[in-house]
Amino acid sequence: MRFFPTTVALFALLALSACGGSSDDAQQSDFEVIDNTAEVQAYYAERPEFFSFKTLADLPTGLNWEDGSHLPEVGSPEAKKGGTEYIRLQDFPRTLRTMGPDSNGSFRIYLLDDVSMSIAHRHPNDFEYFPGLAESWAVDHENKTVFVKLDPKATWSDGEPITSDDFFFMFFMNQSSYIVAPWYNNWYKTQYTNITKYDDLTFSISVPEAKPDMGSRVLELRPTAEHFFKELGDDYVERYQWRFETTTSPYLLDDKNLKKGRSVTLTRNKDWWAKDKKHWRYRFNMDKIHLAVIRDTSKHFEAFKRGDIDQFNLRLAEYWYEKLPDDDQDVASGYIHKSMFYNQHPRPTFGMWINTSKGLLDNRDIRVGIQYASNWDLVLEKFFRGDYARMKTSSDGYGEFTHPTLQPREFDINKAQEAFARAGFTERGPDGILQNEAGQRLSFTFSTGYEHYKDILTILKEEALKAGLELRLEVLDSTAGFKKVQEKKHDVHFVAFSVSLEMYPRFWETYHADNAYDVPFLEDGSVNPDRKVKTQTNNLEELALQEMDSMIDQYRISADKQEMIDLAHRMTELHHEHASFVPGFVQPGYRIGHWRWIRYPEGFNYKHTRRWDELFVHWVDSDLKEETQAAKNSGQKFEPEINFYDQFATP
Amino acid sequence: MLNLNPQTLKRLRRFREIKRGYYSFLFLVGLLALLSFGELLVNSRALIVSYDDTLYFPTYSDFHAGTDFGMDYDYEVNYRDLKEKFSQEGGDNWVLMPAVPYNPLENHAPGGVFKPSPPSLGDRHILGTDTTSRDILARLFYGTRIALWFSIAFMLAVYAIGITIGCAMGYFGGVFDLVFQRFIEIWSNIPFLYMIIIVFSVIPQTFTIPTRIAILLTVMVLFSWTSMTYYMRTETYKEKSRDYIAAARVIGASNTRIIFRHILPNVLSTLVTFMPFTVVSAITAITALDFLGFGLPPPTPSLGELLKQGTATLRTAPWIVMSAFGTLVVLLTVVTFIGEAVRESFDPKKFTIYR
Repeated sequence: MRFFPTTVALFALLALSACGGSSDDAQQSDFEVIDNTAEVQAYYAERPEFFSFKTLADLPTGLNWEDGSHLPEVGSPEAKKGGTEYIRLQDFPRTLRTMGPDSNGSFRIYLLDDVSMSIAHRHPNDFEYFPGLAESWAVDHENKTVFVKLDPKATWSDGEPITSDDFFFMFFMNQSSYIVAPWYNNWYKTQYTNITKYDDLTFSISVPEAKPDMGSRVLELRPTAEHFFKELGDDYVERYQWRFETTTSPYLLDDKNLKKGRSVTLTRNKDWWAKDKKHWRYRFNMDKIHLAVIRDTSKHFEAFKRGDIDQFNLRLAEYWYEKLPDDDQDVASGYIHKSMFYNQHPRPTFGMWINTSKGLLDNRDIRVGIQYASNWDLVLEKFFRGDYARMKTSSDGYGEFTHPTLQPREFDINKAQEAFARAGFTERGPDGILQNEAGQRLSFTFSTGYEHYKDILTILKEEALKAGLELRLEVLDSTAGFKKVQEKKHDVHFVAFSVSLEMYPRFWETYHADNAYDVPFLEDGSVNPDRKVKTQTNNLEELALQEMDSMIDQYRISADKQEMIDLAHRMTELHHEHASFVPGFVQPGYRIGHWRWIRYPEGFNYKHTRRWDELFVHWVDSDLKEETQAAKNSGQKFEPEINFYDQFATP
Repeated sequence: MLNLNPQTLKRLRRFREIKRGYYSFLFLVGLLALLSFGELLVNSRALIVSYDDTLYFPTYSDFHAGTDFGMDYDYEVNYRDLKEKFSQEGGDNWVLMPAVPYNPLENHAPGGVFKPSPPSLGDRHILGTDTTSRDILARLFYGTRIALWFSIAFMLAVYAIGITIGCAMGYFGGVFDLVFQRFIEIWSNIPFLYMIIIVFSVIPQTFTIPTRIAILLTVMVLFSWTSMTYYMRTETYKEKSRDYIAAARVIGASNTRIIFRHILPNVLSTLVTFMPFTVVSAITAITALDFLGFGLPPPTPSLGELLKQGTATLRTAPWIVMSAFGTLVVLLTVVTFIGEAVRESFDPKKFTIYR
């Protein structure tokens, strides 16, 4: 048995060396090199109606070319380049891919959403477009087509020029089943009808409907580097799992800066092609962005207080008022600044979604009762300490498209009880819960996937008891909560859909009968008695009204802005009348704490931003950092700064 | 009434002599008794209300609407407000509140906003409030009650299964023993904590809270009974081969009689010594699960949940973690003391080093 330990040691050594080399070598050696150029070209050739090739002579004349050059700069000329920003990651990213399974995590904003360039970008104050990759563009509403001239200087991070082919390839990739992303497949197949190449820098993309904001559908597209994805195939998910894509972003990731499970460091591309371009030159100021995994939120806060993390989201009142109060030593000494910024953005739909396909909840009187029995004012006062406002309708924050006068139903025990009485619930049982003549209790489950908001549910539950309504709480983790509503197994669920910056709200996803039942109505227009609940859709209220459907259908094809506004208002009214959604709260902005060396432009940020760092207009002042750290040691104090930026606040 | 054999009496006497264990036992029994009538001590409902010359005892009765006592609302009356109102009116009406006039689920925020408030006698929040302004003493009280009853139920269930199967394995032996041994080997290798997390996450959460607590208990028992069988099996094997069993069999005693009249009483002494430690591990397990968020469903008061809140607010509200931690330490120490005393008093060797 003497040989035994030696063999073990040898095996261990082999195993170790195999581990060490795997992450780098896997990319090159484990996968056979392929070239999909022929396949891609064949794909284009098979679909001539979608992928067209023309010459510059075919370019229509008389187009109204825009280049957004009149829009003001984004960021501050005072911004200094350099320094490192330290940011926390809650979880290590599961992949570096920006498409396919697991890619849509919170880390993707540093790879794609917040840093890469699209054809043009909405100006964060003016809502109009300023150029990204494009030099100029023209929107042709009549022919439902957007024409684009790319900036000849635009290059990928590896120096290759960005051309029309990369936009062709974007369609190929997003339509292909290789990326395992059915939603994207569907979107890129149905929301666009054609791409035409005029020359390497000029192309056009067409959309099916000439909606008032059809320009945005095209201008916000981001190209995909054709030369980088030459090996795109069935094994895309594994092959590209840890490859950093060639990108248009100013921040690059070197393999040696990826410490799996621990941290990621992004470095600024000093030769970024847009570094002197207007609207871009004062942004992306940090030389390095260091992202480290800290799982626990309280630990995250301690790291921030130590100065290991530069900025901290003070969204919760608990943090703004108790954990980092104005008289906190670091705040009072001016080391940490507190900033509250009021923005304008479509509001996430925080509220109670009532499943009308469930037993008693199909009765409108019960739903109205629930509306009156929900004490959101108390939630605002006690949980949010008056910092938030009550949501009025499910489509707040869309300017003219938002209903101007509609108000949510207030908390009123008497009105709630009247409504419940109309539904037959008149007597209080021995536990104070209303009952009907059959002895049925007025009791529903009230679930949520937001652990950090569970106290809101507790408040609502306690208040609803006063009206004789029992809400049985169910706090799930976010995945389980989402699964529950997607399978339509909830009675009343507290959740919000996040919304992106758009011109007008969407109704089809949440209120169309097609998203509620398989066959909602019979041919004669009556309700189908055998209809089955449709799962995996966003119609969480199981709202199925023919009147609503016809308005939504009209809204979807309408190209007339005034008609759309009118329809949006009427749909909002009908939705209010149906009483299947109890509007919750809206956050009027965001608030953070940041160390003194993190600087922001005058006025702090921009009107349509949702987060303080999404535009990368802040910068790290290394001199101030040294000064602050020295002052902290010596006890020197600065003027405390607690600022409220309400220039964009809505009344 | 109780016909104990002299051996047992001797052990009990020895248990009484070990003062630390004995007083811990008395303390625990007293605590259990106190907790059983907890509604009379810690509750938002009044003990007695005297209104218009009628006495009401709302603690265990149906709810009373505000209108029953001359308030202007028809939901459950707030007895603290009622007391205030009666004393202002200065009439003959009066309210007697329990020592801690809060229930573990209500949010009582004297300042108007939900935040932890420090211990204060004025508000009758003796240990302060937690992050959503619930009284910590009330939550500790009912949390301890649930944890104790839970772990005692857990212990009983684990022993019932463990003793039955272990005894059967030892007594019948042969193929039955062989098959069950292999089964237990496999079964006990399933990680208990992970299984609870997995099983509990797939259970539909529409069940009521008592049902879910019962399911949690069942799952925990299902994965914990195995260790008991080993002791039972060996003990039974040992006893089975003794002469008195052989004698009993020769006389013609049935298997049932032999197991219940002869073997069980003789092996129980071994098991009794394990009991307190099973309780300790059950309390620890349930607290750990609550801390991780996989234990008792919210808003059930629990020690683990308080600990979790406490660690998140160490800097701003140290009183949360202090009271939860203190309770846990006292509880576990007391049960461990009892366990040590039991073990020592059941030890056949009088002079040992179990100290």
